[in-house]
Amino acid sequence: MSETPSRYGGFFTESPRSGILGWVTSTDHKRIGLLYLGCIVTMFIVGAVLGLALRLQLFEPGTGIMEAQTYNATFTVHGVIMIFLFIIPSIPAAFGNLLLPIQIGARDVSFPRVNLLSWYCYIAGAILAVTAIFSGGGPPDTGWTFYVPFSTQTTTNVNLAVSAAFMLGFSSILTGINFVTTIHRLRCKGMGWGKLPLFVWTLYATAWIQVLATPMIGITLALIFVERIFGAGLFDVAKGGDPILFQHLFWIYSHPAVYIMILPGMGVISEIIPVFARKPLFGYWAMALSSLAIAFAGSLVWAHHMYASGMSDMAIMIFSFLTFIVAIPSAIKIFNWVSTLYKGSIQLAPPMLYALSFIFLFAIGGLGGLALGAAAADIHLHDTTFVVGHFHYTMFGGTGFAFFAALHYWLPKFFARMYNHKIATLAWALIFVGFNVTYMAMQAVGIQGMPRRYYDYLPQFGPLNMVATIGSWILAVGLIIMFVNLWRGIRYGTPVGKNPWGGATLEWEVPSPPPMENFGAEDPVVTRGPYDFKGVIADEP
Amino acid sequence: MNPLTNPTASGVDNVLIYIFGSSLLLLAGITIVMIWFVIRYRRSKNPEPTSDVEGNLWLEITWTVLPTLIVLTMFWYGWVNYLGLRDVPEGAFEVRATGRMWSWQFEYENGRTSSKLYVPAGKPIKVILNSTDVLHSFFMPAFRIKRDTVPGIETYVWFQAPEVGSYDIFCTEYCGTGHADMITSAEILSPEEFTAWYSEKTTAQTVPRGRQLLEEQGCLGCHSFDGSSSIAPTFGKLKGVKREISTEGQKKEITIDTDYLRRAIRTPEVDLVEGFPPIMPAYGDEISESDLDEIINYLLEGDTGPVLDGNKLLEENGCFGCHSTDGSALVGPSFKGLKDRTTEVKRDGTELQLKVDADYLRRAIRQPNKEIVEDYPAIMPAANHLSDEEIDAIIKTLLKGADQQ
Repeated sequence: MSETPSRYGGFFTESPRSGILGWVTSTDHKRIGLLYLGCIVTMFIVGAVLGLALRLQLFEPGTGIMEAQTYNATFTVHGVIMIFLFIIPSIPAAFGNLLLPIQIGARDVSFPRVNLLSWYCYIAGAILAVTAIFSGGGPPDTGWTFYVPFSTQTTTNVNLAVSAAFMLGFSSILTGINFVTTIHRLRCKGMGWGKLPLFVWTLYATAWIQVLATPMIGITLALIFVERIFGAGLFDVAKGGDPILFQHLFWIYSHPAVYIMILPGMGVISEIIPVFARKPLFGYWAMALSSLAIAFAGSLVWAHHMYASGMSDMAIMIFSFLTFIVAIPSAIKIFNWVSTLYKGSIQLAPPMLYALSFIFLFAIGGLGGLALGAAAADIHLHDTTFVVGHFHYTMFGGTGFAFFAALHYWLPKFFARMYNHKIATLAWALIFVGFNVTYMAMQAVGIQGMPRRYYDYLPQFGPLNMVATIGSWILAVGLIIMFVNLWRGIRYGTPVGKNPWGGATLEWEVPSPPPMENFGAEDPVVTRGPYDFKGVIADEP
Repeated sequence: MNPLTNPTASGVDNVLIYIFGSSLLLLAGITIVMIWFVIRYRRSKNPEPTSDVEGNLWLEITWTVLPTLIVLTMFWYGWVNYLGLRDVPEGAFEVRATGRMWSWQFEYENGRTSSKLYVPAGKPIKVILNSTDVLHSFFMPAFRIKRDTVPGIETYVWFQAPEVGSYDIFCTEYCGTGHADMITSAEILSPEEFTAWYSEKTTAQTVPRGRQLLEEQGCLGCHSFDGSSSIAPTFGKLKGVKREISTEGQKKEITIDTDYLRRAIRTPEVDLVEGFPPIMPAYGDEISESDLDEIINYLLEGDTGPVLDGNKLLEENGCFGCHSTDGSALVGPSFKGLKDRTTEVKRDGTELQLKVDADYLRRAIRQPNKEIVEDYPAIMPAANHLSDEEIDAIIKTLLKGADQQ
């Protein structure tokens, strides 16, 4: 409609190959980032529809819309898609690829072809996951945790689902290696460690976890294969094995993985808040180092998922202690974000609304985590819907909201068009309200004692479940409005210049959309900090 | 949550209240400050930032050290109260709980089993947990206790109920199709009620008088029920059976009935069964007339083993967890109206119509996943732990119409 052929196309038009091949064989970090973004949003929508179906089933006690087996498969697939295909790659693979090289003044990542390979691993994993749903003994029904001995006994299609997660692990490792190398080797002149945008710092911390922890999940999933196909007995007491060993191996990856999920989200928030307060980020080094502290300490707390597993009491004491320690760097981040607002000039644009609500929701998630970290309290709350509510507060209220903030903040950069702000604000309000109604009700019914992964429940849990389901409808309406508004925005929105928000990091100095290789003939030289807004002026709207 | 006060719940609740309470204060503080900043420093009122402060070391130290101290108190409080969940008081009454797909079985020290947990009020109860198949988790929300049941590894929980009542027990470790139906209850009885319940005869102990007498009189030293003894005729299937005997050297065929058995016990030397030595002692005054009637009645009418209650077996083995008795479809087909049912099954991929009869039911219990009933998943565990007699009793009950109490 308003597509004017004379508009500057940036990396959209400059490509050695044209058409679809120009995308699927491209090694340009921005094109790979957009490929990831498209897939990730698609996967989010699929996962969200499954999540809505789960809530609909729980609207009231009774059989509802699905049988037990269907429900079990649905929450398994919802979890696998949301974790492995959405949250883990969401911010690092999509926005990390789009932005990391530009933000450090590089023309691309260190290994562009490995970068493309990682996307193909992701696609292979996605195809395996979808095949697992529609073939073999039916969709997997183990939950995304694949706990033995159930996962080694069930006749459903666990083998394929496990291979899918295995493949996606490779994708994640390749991205991690690429980012660590890029950040070490390709910073432009003047881009010292003290001038890195916080988003880059969090990607750096994340990349280390991806490289160091992901092989564990590969090994663990491979062991499920060995059990299922050869009956090796590693996790079978009758053969001298130990079923609890599996849980240790699984969480040695999967707990650090929650920091893979949240850290880049924190990075996004650290970018957005200074820009919309027009003030330097409070406590730059505290923010940078707390990211590394989270990555390190987060690798030592895995067994807090296992207080009720039958693990020794001594182990429970140690892991409970370490769990409380990992809460500190997250708290430091929250205090610094809030302090950044002090005496700023605050503009409540859509990215800022998502960023501020991130702080609120992540605080609720984090504080709920304290109750789960305390040994006695966790015994009551473990494996109830409180846990489900809690991790949705951190993963969806945290990473999800950061992802939405990133969409609203950076899409105008890459598409050079602005979405409608009023509609975006309405969508944000619906999402925020619907989110809290849904997951606060789930937390409350969990405290009452409703176990998770129940397709049907006793009547005393009825009212709060109904509230949660109604909340999920508000949330769904908000999400639909948000995605439609963003889609219309990047297609037909008002054209905007290179710096619509007045950001001071490097991506706002290159044209929109950024050209191939980001910078013109000369590499940039950095002299100012990432949050030094003196003299930086936002484009007139 | 339940307002009940009991030792395990109050320990956990104190921790919950402490952590949730301080969390709420922190959250309120952060949120209020954030909203106040947003309003106070909004761009329309504050077009340019009035500070360009980049940080403050003392603030950073303060909000690192203070939260650390706060969370360490949470850790310690949580840990100390957790120990309270692990230290079982002296003299606790022990019950073994076994989780299996998808029901609970409780076993008491005297051998009594049940599908609900019956315990006396006012006494600490230690529940020793185990599993026969996959992970389950034993969760009693009212007592805030939870522990996984792990196949091959013993775990435990303890609790004490101050008063009589009924409390939910859930499985909280996902274990497959019937996970959400793996619900039972703890029935807290008064000590007197409990003693009465505890000493009631259980399925296994209900031995008929006739059988008891056979054992007391030593009859089973020579006679078997399955024909395995070579020194005396079998007790199995006596009623109406024709048998060759010789009376004073004269061979004749008789039909076993009350009169014959009476003679065979009181005066065994008169009628001798072919093929066995004439060694049975005569039972005169040792057996009263009424006991003799019991024995004869048992030999003719009684089962070859203890009388088994099919309904009890169905309940104890958790069958009702997946099969209803009211016609509603749960995880498995309903037990209602089994005897007149024709069922559609899939055997090795071919669909068949089968009349439900004893043979079919026996196959369905022994090899449940050989013939899969249409529309139901192939998930029933094979009942290998049941004896043939127990399965016969179950089948009899199923065909008659099972009845869940």
